[in-house]
Amino acid sequence: MAHDEPQAAHGTSRLGWLALVPAAVLLLAWWATAGGDRVLVAAWPWIPSLGISLAFRIDGLALQFILLIAGIGTLVFVYAAGYMAGVKQRLRLFGALIAFMLAMLGTVSADNLLLLFVFWEMTSLTSFLLVGFKHEKAAARRSAQQALMVTAGGGLVMLAGFILLGAIAGTYSISGLVATAPNWLDHPALPLALGCVLVGAFSKSAQIPFHFWLPNAMAAPTPVSAYLHSATMVKLGVYLLARLDPAFHDLELWQWLLVGFGGLTAAWSMLLALRERDLKRILAWSTVSALGTLTMLIGLPGAVAPGAMAAFLLAHALYKAPLFFVAGNVDHCAGSRSIDDLGGLATRMPWTAAAAAIAAVSMAGLPFSLGYFAKDLIDIARAEGGVFVWAGYASLMVGAISVAVAAVAAVRIFWHRNGRPVPMQIHEAGWAMRLPPLLVACVGLAFGLHPEWLAPLLDHSAIAMGGALPSTVLGVGTIGLDGLTGVAATLGAGLVIYLGWDRLHRMLERGFPLIDRVGMVAHYERLLNAIPALASWSTRWLQGGRTSGYTLIAAGGMGLGLGAAVLLALPPVVLPTTDLPIGTAPALAAITLGAIAALVARTSLLLLLASGLVGFGSAGLFLFVGAPDLAFTQFTVEVAFIVILVAVLLRTGASRQTTAGPRRAPREMIRAAIALGGGGLATWMVLAGLSGPDNRVLADYFGANAVPEAQGRNVVNVILVDFRAVDTFGEIAVVAAAFLAVLPLLLALKRKKETPR
Amino acid sequence: MNQDVVILRLAVRLLYPVILFASVWLLLRGHNAPGGGFIGGMTAVAATILAALSVSSQAALDRLPGGAMRLAAAGVLIALLSGLPGLAVGAYMTHLWATLPLGFTELKVSTVLLFDLGVYLAVWGSLGGLCAHAIGLDEDSP
Repeated sequence: MAHDEPQAAHGTSRLGWLALVPAAVLLLAWWATAGGDRVLVAAWPWIPSLGISLAFRIDGLALQFILLIAGIGTLVFVYAAGYMAGVKQRLRLFGALIAFMLAMLGTVSADNLLLLFVFWEMTSLTSFLLVGFKHEKAAARRSAQQALMVTAGGGLVMLAGFILLGAIAGTYSISGLVATAPNWLDHPALPLALGCVLVGAFSKSAQIPFHFWLPNAMAAPTPVSAYLHSATMVKLGVYLLARLDPAFHDLELWQWLLVGFGGLTAAWSMLLALRERDLKRILAWSTVSALGTLTMLIGLPGAVAPGAMAAFLLAHALYKAPLFFVAGNVDHCAGSRSIDDLGGLATRMPWTAAAAAIAAVSMAGLPFSLGYFAKDLIDIARAEGGVFVWAGYASLMVGAISVAVAAVAAVRIFWHRNGRPVPMQIHEAGWAMRLPPLLVACVGLAFGLHPEWLAPLLDHSAIAMGGALPSTVLGVGTIGLDGLTGVAATLGAGLVIYLGWDRLHRMLERGFPLIDRVGMVAHYERLLNAIPALASWSTRWLQGGRTSGYTLIAAGGMGLGLGAAVLLALPPVVLPTTDLPIGTAPALAAITLGAIAALVARTSLLLLLASGLVGFGSAGLFLFVGAPDLAFTQFTVEVAFIVILVAVLLRTGASRQTTAGPRRAPREMIRAAIALGGGGLATWMVLAGLSGPDNRVLADYFGANAVPEAQGRNVVNVILVDFRAVDTFGEIAVVAAAFLAVLPLLLALKRKKETPR
Repeated sequence: MNQDVVILRLAVRLLYPVILFASVWLLLRGHNAPGGGFIGGMTAVAATILAALSVSSQAALDRLPGGAMRLAAAGVLIALLSGLPGLAVGAYMTHLWATLPLGFTELKVSTVLLFDLGVYLAVWGSLGGLCAHAIGLDEDSP
């Protein structure tokens, strides 16, 4: 856990001025939507044939996310200016942060499922760059890869779900989807579509069974953790669920899945937090737990749940981001994030300690804090939704461990003396790192004292989710006796956990190795290792290095496909009666002779010449039936083909090789059968194609338009270079690329020959 | 291969430019008569093969203007760019035509010819280079 960045605590990078970008976004969004009173809609066509448009819609829910992204973003940029001062490549970090922020803003304002998907995956990609910022360290690379595999992989499953959903609903527009939902909710394929969408949302928001990637992503620099992994990106999954909730909230399946997985994640990840010694990882697990609570709230039926979800979303961002900043300051200044090494830092870092204390009050849910306000709403929503009894105990446990985590972050490392003297060289962080946590925490404090300031914002957000903020919970003085008892119970339990933290930790360490063996991380590793194993297995079997094997697979596969098509359709065949000109007789003779020679040839070289005879015969045939261009092409290609093959055969010594073994061997018979079957099928297909009605639409079109439209009398050439020029371009690009691919092989063969063995 | 066929080597000195001339002629007439970029390019490949067989693969490669790889790349690039002027009047790859009066005759120039030239160069560079390198496999190094 040693600190590994240059100690430049009091420097500030000028890149911090980039914070003006999110600040501008914040003000613009607030002004343009008139604080959420107005819904902004804009759309441009993109791929109209597929129903994909650049459609954007900013309602209350989107606005809340935009304000979070831009607001926390502003302070993250300021903080990063201090944290990254003097670090090489900090420009890259800021660039990726800007790109990430734009992708986030796009995701939450998109009103088209596929557009949302594009932005969604952009956030996955930019977060890969951000998590792997310290790319010279193997652990950072592995974490970045894991985060990308889980979130981008989940995103791909989600895309499948989106396409299915679009097909069921007949629209990709999200607002359209919500509006028309009652018409197609009983579609039989809907559970599959929902399952796919949930995989995407759960992987992004680190719900069980995808929960493991988030704490591992703590390898990222702290500004990144505070931004991506507490306040914004990991909440995208929650955002998507909330966005779609008005369409599905009456489905029992939807409610059960969300409440089940969300509740399970909330409880389980809090237990996992007790295992950690790294402050950032402890905070990360509590973030996973909060995400679980949010998911559960979306799944709860009732009108209060959306309001509770909006309130908790905001409260969590306003206390978790400062706590991450605090962890970063401690790491930066004390050189460690392990709670075993830290203690009594309050005298050296008073500003950071103050920020931690204010944020922790909200996290613990003490009265008159935003956290309390949110928890109150959650309790109402839970009671209204009628959650089972065990969930009540689980929520008590989640609350208690939250209190303990808050106490660890705010009390233990700052006030607990640990019996050791605090090193003298530890000093407070620079202003750029001191202010952001304090500012965010104070905003949370102000809102906690005056929740009515938040009412319009949360109300608009809740309305967008199909609910409303109950007016009774607003204002000070609503704390009833029930609420106080609950707070007291949670606090008491939390205090016990806090005091027994180390003992609990040792207990869990004894029990957990058993679980680790079957846990999700182990499965992930197994899956990751299976990929190269599968690749080498399939390579061994499919690409054994024998050309005859490849030909067998290619010809056999094509034969099976064609055979299936022919057998299914059984097209009628009429033998053509066209009279061939007498000049074609030598060409036909050459083809026949070549085919027979190929059958009896015993050496590769002879076989090649025989097949060349077939090729030249075909070229001659083309010449006589009115296709001079084709004949020219066939002649020139045949020459090049034979020259290349002869050269390669001579080089490899295969020219003298004869086909081994007696001719009647069973293998020979199988090959003969495949050859006869393939040839017969191809002949049948050609004859069947010729037997159908003669469709001359294209031929007439090209014939009539070649001269007036394209000013050319050679229709074949006109099609190639004008009517279908883009196709031709693709073909020459492929030819050139194939040359580039083959060249190294030829050069390697040549080198192998020149170096004496 | 046998590199001491004096008559063949002498013949190639004469034939190489003739075949190339024929290939360009095929390219230019392609729009109205049998021929075109691909056939012209393949004819040029035949010239390269002949040079590789009679002299040496390296000599054949050296005779490709700019080298095989650059020739192929230039062809693809020319074909790609030839479609751009069309954007001005309609869509990509809408070809444009103009007539240049030369006094005794007039020459039709067009972006189509440019495109076909791209095809010609790409085919010559790729397949000519491929053939010459393949033939080079069987040569003894000098």
